[in-house]
Amino acid sequence: MLIDSRAFIFLGANILFFYLAQLANSSLASLGIYLLLLGPMPVMPALYLKPPSAFICILLSGLWIDAACPVPFGFFTALFLLAGTLTGLLRHRLRAEQSYHPFILTQFFNIGVILALTLTKGAGSYFVLDLWIQTALVILSSSLALLLITAWFFRFQRMLIAFFRLDPEPEGLPIR
Amino acid sequence: MAKLRLEKIKPLVALAAFLLFWWILPASVKSFTRLSFAEFHAPAWLVTTKIDQLSDFWAARNHSKIDLLEAGRDLARTNARYHVIAQRYQTLEEEIERLENLLDLPPQQAFHHEVARVIRRDLNAWWQHLLIRKGRDYQIPVGAAVIFSGGVVGRVVEVYAYTSRVELVTSPRFRMAASFEGDSRPVVYQGRIQSGFASPRGEVSDVPQDLLTTSRSPLSLVSTHLGGTFPAGLKIGTVPWLAPGSTGIFQTGAVELDDRLHELKEVTVLIPLLATEVSSHVD
Repeated sequence: MLIDSRAFIFLGANILFFYLAQLANSSLASLGIYLLLLGPMPVMPALYLKPPSAFICILLSGLWIDAACPVPFGFFTALFLLAGTLTGLLRHRLRAEQSYHPFILTQFFNIGVILALTLTKGAGSYFVLDLWIQTALVILSSSLALLLITAWFFRFQRMLIAFFRLDPEPEGLPIR
Repeated sequence: MAKLRLEKIKPLVALAAFLLFWWILPASVKSFTRLSFAEFHAPAWLVTTKIDQLSDFWAARNHSKIDLLEAGRDLARTNARYHVIAQRYQTLEEEIERLENLLDLPPQQAFHHEVARVIRRDLNAWWQHLLIRKGRDYQIPVGAAVIFSGGVVGRVVEVYAYTSRVELVTSPRFRMAASFEGDSRPVVYQGRIQSGFASPRGEVSDVPQDLLTTSRSPLSLVSTHLGGTFPAGLKIGTVPWLAPGSTGIFQTGAVELDDRLHELKEVTVLIPLLATEVSSHVD
């Protein structure tokens, strides 16, 4: 098969995760809290899938998020592909199953996305203190939320793979 | 060895090639792709609001009959009051029309009011948007004014088949002409980056030097008909202080906005009517 079936599972899980995050943000709006939870999305496809399948999955996830946010179309797609590529380059050194590697990557990517967003959308307001206070608050709240959610999200993706009786091991690694 | 090195940079080269391809892709293709993906989002949000409505319905069913009777009585009183106000409004409208004809003035911009439910709030340092449950299916145009009982909410910036995106008055990219209540001179209102847990705020600039305000009796900032988007007289917020601006000619100040802006459930979109539609329109 040209595309690994697991790519569709990861894509579906990413879409569901993004939808739930938006629901949470909509409810938290009156409290002044905003969660940007995009870090986990490119991690599992890049760790589990061969490059062509991972590319398709990450590309579609990125376009899905770009369409929902008022950013230049392709902004999150480019960031996701960059994150996926970097993870892909390191995947021989990382363990996808039951280790802390995906969690660290998730936090790292999430903070990167938030900073990239601030630098892009905050152009012209870099000297406004509120922008950086808000960015720091989003980083703090999102990182704390990811600490609680990421484990569930990755376990959910692995559970779906097991449910559909697909290969639970990462593909394309020299030692399996 | 050289082959090994090439293998290592192959993904980076592929990424660079894709980004280059994306960069040279025509804007129309990107726009079409964006619109296609955006339309796929709508059903999930429509289902969410329907479920919300259903839960509200079942919550309402749990009220006792006595509660419902009392609510009905209160509504009847409110309806009677609004009926009187509507009659007064009709009289004033006719008076305005008569004066316009008498003085040969151009007619004021008329609007059709479309009430829409808020299905998502997206408020952060980068953007301040609402998603409402009406779009092209209700002829919502891009740029239409959005209001609520407390005054100005914002402006429609994107319209999809069944939903629309509204830029809030708090957004740093939102800018409109305004004036102070009782003073016809125009000033400029602009949103600003919000400071997190505080009440929503904006900024006002180009305020004439002779205007004075205090935190005890702040000046009220309202919309003007300049620009054509908003009707005149809608409340934007209050200005508790003014300070000399950078030019020294005008003053600038902070605008305290309505706290309810961040928890809106329903808004009204003002759809401009064409001159031909005004006479035949029944609101």
